[in-house]
Amino acid sequence: MTVSYLLGYYLWVGPHVLLGAILFAMIRRKVYPQFPMFFLYTAFEILQFAVLFTISRSHVHFGESYVRVYSVGLAVSTAIRFAVIHELFRHFFRSYPALDLPGRYLFRGLTVVLLLVATGVAVSAPGNSASFLLNITYALDRTASVMQCGLLISLFIFSRYFALSWRSNAFGIALGLGIFASVELATSAIWLHLGAFGNRAVNLLTMATYHCCVLIWMFYLMRPEREAQQAPKTLPKYDLDIWNQELQRLLQR
Amino acid sequence: MTTTIIIVVIASLALLCLLWLAKGRTLSASVLDNPTAHIRALDVEAFRNLVDPDEEEFLRSQLPPAAFRRIQRERLRAAVEYVSCAAQNAAILLRLADAGRRSTDPATAEAAEKLVDNAIRLRLYAFHAMARLYLGMILPGARIYPVRVAESYEQMTRQVVLLGCLQYPTRGIAAAL
Repeated sequence: MTVSYLLGYYLWVGPHVLLGAILFAMIRRKVYPQFPMFFLYTAFEILQFAVLFTISRSHVHFGESYVRVYSVGLAVSTAIRFAVIHELFRHFFRSYPALDLPGRYLFRGLTVVLLLVATGVAVSAPGNSASFLLNITYALDRTASVMQCGLLISLFIFSRYFALSWRSNAFGIALGLGIFASVELATSAIWLHLGAFGNRAVNLLTMATYHCCVLIWMFYLMRPEREAQQAPKTLPKYDLDIWNQELQRLLQR
Repeated sequence: MTTTIIIVVIASLALLCLLWLAKGRTLSASVLDNPTAHIRALDVEAFRNLVDPDEEEFLRSQLPPAAFRRIQRERLRAAVEYVSCAAQNAAILLRLADAGRRSTDPATAEAAEKLVDNAIRLRLYAFHAMARLYLGMILPGARIYPVRVAESYEQMTRQVVLLGCLQYPTRGIAAAL
């Protein structure tokens, strides 16, 4: 067994064990009603891992059946990730009623624009693989990554422009998903170009990134929720002269 | 091959952009620790004057076209400064009011909620106004009247005073507005 082989196994098994811990923490700390889609995503990732791991250990190994299950799993996982992003948008804008409507328009508008961009990329650069299933899988993965990456970056830009505060667990989920989406965008493009399943270096990079994202989710979901905003540190000592001046100024209008 | 390289480069840039945005997600601690030092005084009347349609019409009628365009660009440039200053103040007040929303005192929570709401609206108007003002600088003949910023700013000022009376002792906030 080489170091690379062991590392590969660790990066495959480790994040899913940690996802189990996240799932447990979400139930214990009653966070799952706030983020039901993320809860579903975590549960599905663990299930998918269990199925794929079992197949890989059986006589089928990493053969055609494995690729089929992997492709279906990736499609479902990607769809749930979209639901998680939608959930983050809703969670974020619900805290600020003034942004509820612009936020909804932003999400819809961006989704349409990014879908057009991603479709354009898919048409202009189809895959090189002989396998139709692999071509479709990676092309869809790349399309979804473009959209997810764009949506999450837009959410961060939006929150930054309006100087809005995030609940730390929502921030952690968004950051982890964003990092994974951007790396997956690169790796899916490389996979599509190589036209082969299971390039070792690309696999390790994807798995290592996913491990980092799981650690980010763990950090933000398991630590105590901080107050999103600093409160004044001193007790009020009203300066009556100042307030009086302000009141007079307002009354003069 | 070229498309793959372009996508990989874009993905890398997206990752860097995301990390940069995530790193600076909050206003710096110094701003929140001492907001009064960062809030800039804004003369709303002077701003109103800069974007007053009557004033603009008067200048248009009194000055030769070339001189009017030059003066109008200067006026709009000054208006951009005012709008960005108002937007910056709104961002700081928004973050400060955010804490008040979770106050146990209903009056404070309500005042803070209104201030947050208004500060967000002001940021929205400011974004809109900036686009219009820059457009006006490119086309000095076009009529640009971003008055909602001034109204929203005044409303926000009142809400800051109210919230300050209820919660904040910070002398500078009231004095700055």
